[in-house]
Amino acid sequence: MPTYQPVLLANIHKEDSHKLAVYESGGGYRALRRVLKEKSPQDVVEMVRLSNLRGRGGAGFPTGLKWSFLPEGHPGPVYLCVNADESEPGTFVNRVLMELDPHQVIEGIILSSYATKARTAYIYLRYEYPLSLQRMQAAVDECYQAGYLGKRILGRDFSLDVYIHRGAAAYVCGEEMGLIESLEGKRAWPRIKPPFPAVEGLFRKPTVVNNVETLACVTHIADRGVEWFKSLGTPPDPHDPRDPGSFGPKLYGLSGHVNRPGCYEAPLGITCRQLIEEFGGGVWKNRQAKAVIPGGLSTGLMTEAEFDTPLDFSGPLKVGCLGLGTGCVVVLDETYPILDFLYNSCRFFAHESCGQCTPCREGTRWAVEMIERIRAGRGRLKDLELLQEIGDSIGIIPGTTICGLADGAAWPIKNAIGKFRDELEDYIKRTNPEGYIVTEPVEALAAIAD
Amino acid sequence: MAIVIIDGRELEIPARQRLNGIQAAARLGIEIPHYCWHPALSVVGSCRMCLVEIGNRDAKTGKISMLPKLVPACNTIVTDGMVLVTDSQKVRQARARVEEGLLLRHPIDCPICDKAGECCLQDYHFLHGQDERRADVRPFTSRRRDVGEKVTLFVDRCVMCSQCVRFTREISRTGELMVTGRGAHEEIDVVPGFPLDNKLSGNVVDHCPVGALCDKEFLYQQRVWYMTRHPGVCTGCATGCSIWIEENQDRIYRIRPRENPQLNRWWICNEGRYGYPHVHNRRRLIRPRRRDGGEIVYLDWTGLPNELAGRLGQAGHLAAVLSPHLTCEEAYLLGKFVRGLDAAAWLALGPVPVVGQDERFPDALTISAEKCPNRRGVEAVIAHFTGRVTTFDQLLPEIDQGGIRGVWFSGGYKTDFVDEATARRFESLDLLVVQDLFPSPLSERADYELPAAAFAERDGSYVNRADRLQSAPWAIRPPAEVRSEGSLYWELLRRDGLYDSRAVLDELTREALYFSAARGPVPEVGIDLKVNLLADASGSNV
Amino acid sequence: MSTAERLLSDDVRQAIRARFPRYATRQAVTLPALHLVNQRLGYVPPEAVAEIAELLELTPAQVQDTLSFYGFFKQDKPAGRVRVWVCRSISCAARGGEDLLEYLCKKLGIRPGETTPDGRVTLEFAECLGACDYAPAMLVGDTLHKDLTREKIDEFVASLQQ
Repeated sequence: MPTYQPVLLANIHKEDSHKLAVYESGGGYRALRRVLKEKSPQDVVEMVRLSNLRGRGGAGFPTGLKWSFLPEGHPGPVYLCVNADESEPGTFVNRVLMELDPHQVIEGIILSSYATKARTAYIYLRYEYPLSLQRMQAAVDECYQAGYLGKRILGRDFSLDVYIHRGAAAYVCGEEMGLIESLEGKRAWPRIKPPFPAVEGLFRKPTVVNNVETLACVTHIADRGVEWFKSLGTPPDPHDPRDPGSFGPKLYGLSGHVNRPGCYEAPLGITCRQLIEEFGGGVWKNRQAKAVIPGGLSTGLMTEAEFDTPLDFSGPLKVGCLGLGTGCVVVLDETYPILDFLYNSCRFFAHESCGQCTPCREGTRWAVEMIERIRAGRGRLKDLELLQEIGDSIGIIPGTTICGLADGAAWPIKNAIGKFRDELEDYIKRTNPEGYIVTEPVEALAAIAD
Repeated sequence: MAIVIIDGRELEIPARQRLNGIQAAARLGIEIPHYCWHPALSVVGSCRMCLVEIGNRDAKTGKISMLPKLVPACNTIVTDGMVLVTDSQKVRQARARVEEGLLLRHPIDCPICDKAGECCLQDYHFLHGQDERRADVRPFTSRRRDVGEKVTLFVDRCVMCSQCVRFTREISRTGELMVTGRGAHEEIDVVPGFPLDNKLSGNVVDHCPVGALCDKEFLYQQRVWYMTRHPGVCTGCATGCSIWIEENQDRIYRIRPRENPQLNRWWICNEGRYGYPHVHNRRRLIRPRRRDGGEIVYLDWTGLPNELAGRLGQAGHLAAVLSPHLTCEEAYLLGKFVRGLDAAAWLALGPVPVVGQDERFPDALTISAEKCPNRRGVEAVIAHFTGRVTTFDQLLPEIDQGGIRGVWFSGGYKTDFVDEATARRFESLDLLVVQDLFPSPLSERADYELPAAAFAERDGSYVNRADRLQSAPWAIRPPAEVRSEGSLYWELLRRDGLYDSRAVLDELTREALYFSAARGPVPEVGIDLKVNLLADASGSNV
Repeated sequence: MSTAERLLSDDVRQAIRARFPRYATRQAVTLPALHLVNQRLGYVPPEAVAEIAELLELTPAQVQDTLSFYGFFKQDKPAGRVRVWVCRSISCAARGGEDLLEYLCKKLGIRPGETTPDGRVTLEFAECLGACDYAPAMLVGDTLHKDLTREKIDEFVASLQQ
């Protein structure tokens, strides 16, 4: 395949790539200048809509369509929330962008605010990214100095304030309605939809929540055009009229059992095998891969036999994974027990479940307790059926929960049991041949006399 | 007009009504189970018990297409052509799984839990749950945590519906309750030093669908299936909230709010909720007695009404003090009786207890400073007979002057209402009859001391501060030697049969314009008497 | 409460108030306020919760509710001078992160969530630091420690003694 020239990662190897002067010297903010001079907000919305840009945060929802849900003529204020809470295990590509090319993201924020008529943008930044905080704040300050932020930007009737709002280590704050509740100062119990955030979001005003990488793409669509964007990636499936395709460049994270973990850019649609072999230097220690997580822990598992699946918005779905997710691949080699993967996953989701909805709160706890019991050698084959049932019954796909955290909790269970059942059954049979379990005693909690 | 199809049945909904799936289904008698939804609170849709299938019926073709995923009925406003399915396999399975989820780590406390018999978790388990327990956890009992003066929390019984937290934030607006932690470790709690302390706090126990929040006064007192509930009216203040009086064998165990969209909506204040212990207080006067010089003679009711009528007739110029705790009917009968003996008899309003200021809870109710239920009703009766309202303070100088020789004082006061100095002013009378609940400086000077009926023992109606008349039938029988005001006055007037408050009200509505709106059956939520008063050209309200 | 009895100093209060204009409600300043207090005091004790609530015109329960959701803010005593977050999510775990966490626990003599008796170090586990390209990783204060090995952990613990 022809060598692809990175666009999102074009600047990261330059010295002081995070500084305004360096960004501008590479052509930074020329897109903003041109748009503010020549295009209306509606033009920008249309441009993004035509590009079929899809969100890079995990859901892959078409960005232009999301923006179009904002009500016409609403008195406002309209808010843009930048989802910089990147917490999906295996995912780190937003971090790379924010640390090494923050202005690319900010230009996207300004362009998107212009398009959506937002006058305040909040960057909800996870606590665990202190260098990103430093660099993004410095970049924002530089922008205020240079007149790219604040009142009457570049002399136009367009003002924008950008504030960084720091998180406190909760995965569910990366969920759009959880982010909004957290920003409002409450516990991050994702708010039920409807009403949808475009109509009643932050402070009950029209709000758009967009991922960091998505906003960086907006910058490049504005700079290089819709044609360029659509020249990259996978076109829509001709048999599916509702498929928007998978266009544009993608940052693919690669980690786990590979020789060269890192952040790599390629047009949407490279296969898992290509990512591992051509970018990642192959599986480490001369081993074979057993499975990968295709796009962050929530997406589940792909077996080695499925490695030729294109990593775009449709590919992983076809092999029973939740979707492309964040496009960050974690490689697990042949020696890595699937039970360990399953335990790590269930423990993560039980820890991060916000606790609001019954199926997720109770289901994730029950799942991790069962797996702890299985690991301790007291599993039953029946437990796999119960786990499968939990996996099939919780989530927004069946409609039983408020947010998609539950789907993310479910998919690793479904894929682990669906694709590696033999390995799990084997472990249970080996460690608990009798299949007999002692009921786990729970400490009888002493009643406190008052 | 919108047409909604629920489980195959059509429901018409008038144009401007916004109903969610639960409310729409209820109109067809279909109960969609739910824990976290309450009509007065914000919708959170978190319990997931109300999940239903929805779809659409095409207006032209009649074809029904259903959505593949379940939605919570509480957050689904029904629209024209919407199809709701509440009893499919998918829905039943989802409900069963929510029940299972809630029961996974639920303490096996039913035998010791107050809520048994009125518990959503229990009821839904029988209606919607599954037979087999599949979880591998040994049963345990709940921890208990104090959250306030009136409310205790059994922490582990909580199902995280968050109704209680939303109540304190949205209704009482005092924000004492919170959720702590995250995920499966969440608990309800208060911040140390800031307990659940507001005057509406008892309502969180009603909101709690399980036995997590419990009322300390009611705790372990009575099983709910032994209690009978009677609709009543709270007599604690001039707001007159609608209540349920719950009793077993004539002993009150609990007072709860009765839903009244026109008045107290779903709530009552703590004063009303816990305002019944005096009914069973041992200090109550329970036998009629007479003072002959220094001696106390206990009397028999046989012949006593005649004796009283005789003594009053002999006394000459009379006055009756009509307590603002009397029902309208009782006040009317007493007034008629006394004016029958002395056509120029004074009728005065009894002392009106006032404590502090009105306390307004916007969106909920107002606790009146006036701590009696029927000043307006009694005033209207007095004005009907005498053309004006005489207050207690206005009556006292008349008694001092000596023209009045006999006084009938009807009380029914829960707390002190008269001091020694005021009571002494009654000493000069030839005859003093005091009818009250508890001994007081006045009853100690009475020639005849008659036991009054407590509010739950009376029968009649009250008019609240906003001219709303509500019926309050009797809920419990008074102690054996207590004859309620209504029956005593009925007998004094030599009427046949038993005291019939409805007949008296009919009489009152015919005689006094103020009450005329109550001529027909009085609705459960009461009736606004001003309805007819607006039509009165003279502008007077009698 | 007199100024002398207040826990939050004037400049912390000032910093909290400075955030008000950024948001449509004062409640939205809850998390920034918690961070400001946490940075200053090393923890957010109950007295601070009440003072934050007063500043933000909320009830203490509302602030405490939010605080407790995150599991991030200590309330009983200040965190150590250095707070170490060792990642235990899948990419790090797959490359030995959990063993290294255990190793560090043994070297420091504390469990995750605890602080060393001399108050130097608080050890925590993290759920995906977003440093998967450098797994196994740990965040020490504001510095990311990459590609951890037992040797590097030994070096780190040694550096704490200085």
